[in-house]
Amino acid sequence: MTAPKFDELIHPTTRLTLVGLLAAADWADFVFLREELALSDSALSKQLSTLADAGYVEIERPVRDHRRRVRARLTPAGAAAFDGHVAALRSIVEHSERGRPRTA
Amino acid sequence: MDAPITPDQARLALDAVERGRLRVIDEIGLPRWYWWGLALGWIALGVITDLKNPWATGAATLAFGAVHASVAGRAASGRRRTERLSVRAEIAGRDTARIVVGMVAALGCLTVGLALAAHADGARDPVTIASLFIATIIVLGRPQLIAAIRRRAARTSGR
Repeated sequence: MTAPKFDELIHPTTRLTLVGLLAAADWADFVFLREELALSDSALSKQLSTLADAGYVEIERPVRDHRRRVRARLTPAGAAAFDGHVAALRSIVEHSERGRPRTA
Repeated sequence: MDAPITPDQARLALDAVERGRLRVIDEIGLPRWYWWGLALGWIALGVITDLKNPWATGAATLAFGAVHASVAGRAASGRRRTERLSVRAEIAGRDTARIVVGMVAALGCLTVGLALAAHADGARDPVTIASLFIATIIVLGRPQLIAAIRRRAARTSGR
């Protein structure tokens, strides 16, 4: 089981959604991420750069059908940080439910 | 130590994570060309069988099996429906390809059964008729099969 570790870098909603999408995929295309997050090219690039600088995301530029594509994948460090963050979120929810008085 | 966020904020964040997982699960599927290729190959195999040339039937069956085996490993995993992303194996489920190959085998048995029934009924081209019926099932049944695979992935891949 993953140890809970709240990650301030991942937590902002846009970044959490972005990392959540990448956590379920081997890699995702830039266009797919941009559409899912409803971000502009520059806003998504900025979010990806922040995550890449932290070592959480790897940016690839494969060439396919003579076109250069951009795709992102979560690194093992990013996956571990995401798992730890999700565990921390669950732990916060569980603690609050344990403390809640029971209703008959 | 105090939690950095409230339980309600944590719940909202977990909801966002879950939506992301379900969105990626929506991308599980097989490429469109796989289904059309399978349906057209099925019809071609039926037509060739009705020519009643055992060599042609044997060669076509071997070719069909070889082509299917070569593409199924790649296409039938359900992880690369489009060029937009590759779904993680743990999320897509490792036995999607097995389910698809099992479906193809079951449809093969159904084709034989239908062809025998059509032959007993005096049809001139029983295998062609049976394969046309099965090809229709392949094309029309595709969304139901994919929906079932996605539901299964959503149930079994919770982190």
